[in-house]
Amino acid sequence: MGMRRLTRLTGYAIVIILLFLLPLFVTKPYYLHIFIVTLLYIIVVSSLRTISLSGQVSVAHAAFMGIGGYFSGVISKELGLTPWLTIPLGGLAAMIVAILIGYPFTRVRAIYFSMVSLLGGMAIVNIIRVCQKWTGAAGLAGIPPLSPINIPGLINIVFLGQKVPYYYFTLLLTLVSLVVLHRIEHCRIGMTWKAIAQSHFVASSVGINEAGSRVLALAVGCFFAGIAGASYAHYNLVLTPNTFGFLPSIFLVMYMLVGGRDRFGGPIIGTAILVMVPELFRGLKAFAPLILGAIMVIVVFLMPQGIAGLFDQIRARHGEVRNRKVPGSAA
Amino acid sequence: MEKSVTERYLEVLLETKRLTKFFGGLAAVSQLDMHVNRGEIVGLIGPNGAGKTTVFNLVTGFLRPTGGKVLFDGKDITGKKPHATAKIGIGRTFQLAYLLPDFTVLENVVASFYLYPKSGFWEAIFNTSAYRKKEEYIVNQAREILRFVGLEKVTDELAKNLPHGYQKVLGVARALAVKPRLLLLDEPIAGMSHDEIDFSLRAFEKMRSQGMTILLVEHNMGIMSICDRIMVLNFGHKIAEGTPGEVRQNEGVIQAYFGSEYAA
Repeated sequence: MGMRRLTRLTGYAIVIILLFLLPLFVTKPYYLHIFIVTLLYIIVVSSLRTISLSGQVSVAHAAFMGIGGYFSGVISKELGLTPWLTIPLGGLAAMIVAILIGYPFTRVRAIYFSMVSLLGGMAIVNIIRVCQKWTGAAGLAGIPPLSPINIPGLINIVFLGQKVPYYYFTLLLTLVSLVVLHRIEHCRIGMTWKAIAQSHFVASSVGINEAGSRVLALAVGCFFAGIAGASYAHYNLVLTPNTFGFLPSIFLVMYMLVGGRDRFGGPIIGTAILVMVPELFRGLKAFAPLILGAIMVIVVFLMPQGIAGLFDQIRARHGEVRNRKVPGSAA
Repeated sequence: MEKSVTERYLEVLLETKRLTKFFGGLAAVSQLDMHVNRGEIVGLIGPNGAGKTTVFNLVTGFLRPTGGKVLFDGKDITGKKPHATAKIGIGRTFQLAYLLPDFTVLENVVASFYLYPKSGFWEAIFNTSAYRKKEEYIVNQAREILRFVGLEKVTDELAKNLPHGYQKVLGVARALAVKPRLLLLDEPIAGMSHDEIDFSLRAFEKMRSQGMTILLVEHNMGIMSICDRIMVLNFGHKIAEGTPGEVRQNEGVIQAYFGSEYAA
């Protein structure tokens, strides 16, 4: 057991080191752009999975990215605040909206929750679209980039027009977010969410406040979506509501399902594959939806637990079953 | 000798007053007055559809009563949410062996330690030493409860892989984790094999010897031997009450179960 853990940790370390060295090999700005976008979406999809731990699959997650992005973009532009401050505020804004509209949504469960969340997400995007005074008639332009980090005589990092600093910023943000989400999942908070997902009757019979815990899951998940959306705003410098609409929300769920919902690494694998593959074959862009659809169908039929669940599937086939038979049972 | 009001107040743990629940036009529970004293084991029996499980759901807040009151320890708890009734000390099991199927037996009980001790959001995330101590305490307590009910040999099995009888006992273990002052057991031995019944009865005997207050619903007459008092429901009404021996002789009960031609 200790050996297996060591191998795994070494694996993670190698991947992280490679990611830090990436700008040495990948010098084309366009490829770095793909990595930046992928990393941001990994945060979003992982936080979507965190929400789903409590048995709620939200089809509004892109909208919460949008709240973070627009909130941070508008207040930094209008009030002249530094994006380093407005990005966390964007996360908080998404979290507050999630708590306000999430509470009534907890009256319904499972697929019914997904359906009302879908409507909630569409409402949010339409509100963004209607508030043209701040969000712009043809999209929000003129969002300030991340302000330079300048410590005289030591470092001077300028973000405007540069991919590499943005890449490192996004990479650090992603690593920190994943560590926090992992920790939340593996402490009592995550255990409570998983208990609710398995049986809300049992959970409430032992004193777990179902509605409260589910709102907490929404708050945590949407906070990270908001942070990622705000970071995207100050990287892309232009926002349009369509980026956060109904289809993008569906795509986020798809990334999660293709990667696998049972494992923490699922959203990472799913997002990496589904965001990068279509981008790398840009010549075939017209076929992108077709390719995504095909991948989805293949995964649903051959790997119901997602790509990350494939390892479990293989292990199960080779007879390495996690559970022994119950001693003393009749059957 | 008649007991004074204060004596009665000190004795009674759970009391319902004219408790009523309508489902549409059907009275599932009608004007039910009942009480459970501290340290008593009370059985609630009755034919199918008599309203026994509805009484449980009304007491634990899974259903809101149409009328009447539920008093626990002298306080009105009518219409409180399930998690709130757990908090004030009512533990329960379910008729169908509801459990957390993808958790191990130990995790089922550990997850049920939600109220006492309670951990805060930030201390859990930052894994403070206070939090780690609480978790360590919880795991030890959970193992003790599993030993108490006799499940110590299967702590690491997934709950869904357990045989039916063990799953039901696991439900009892989980209810014990909320440190209940009153335990409601909904058909604790229904559908069990003979060995499983013996196994469960051992656990209930232990609980009895510890002076626990239990209200249980059961069809299987085997469990009636451990009850101090039995109440019989039929069509939502209480039709008889007394010791197991008295109830067995009661004509109304015989009629309800076997039809009027069998009554003497």
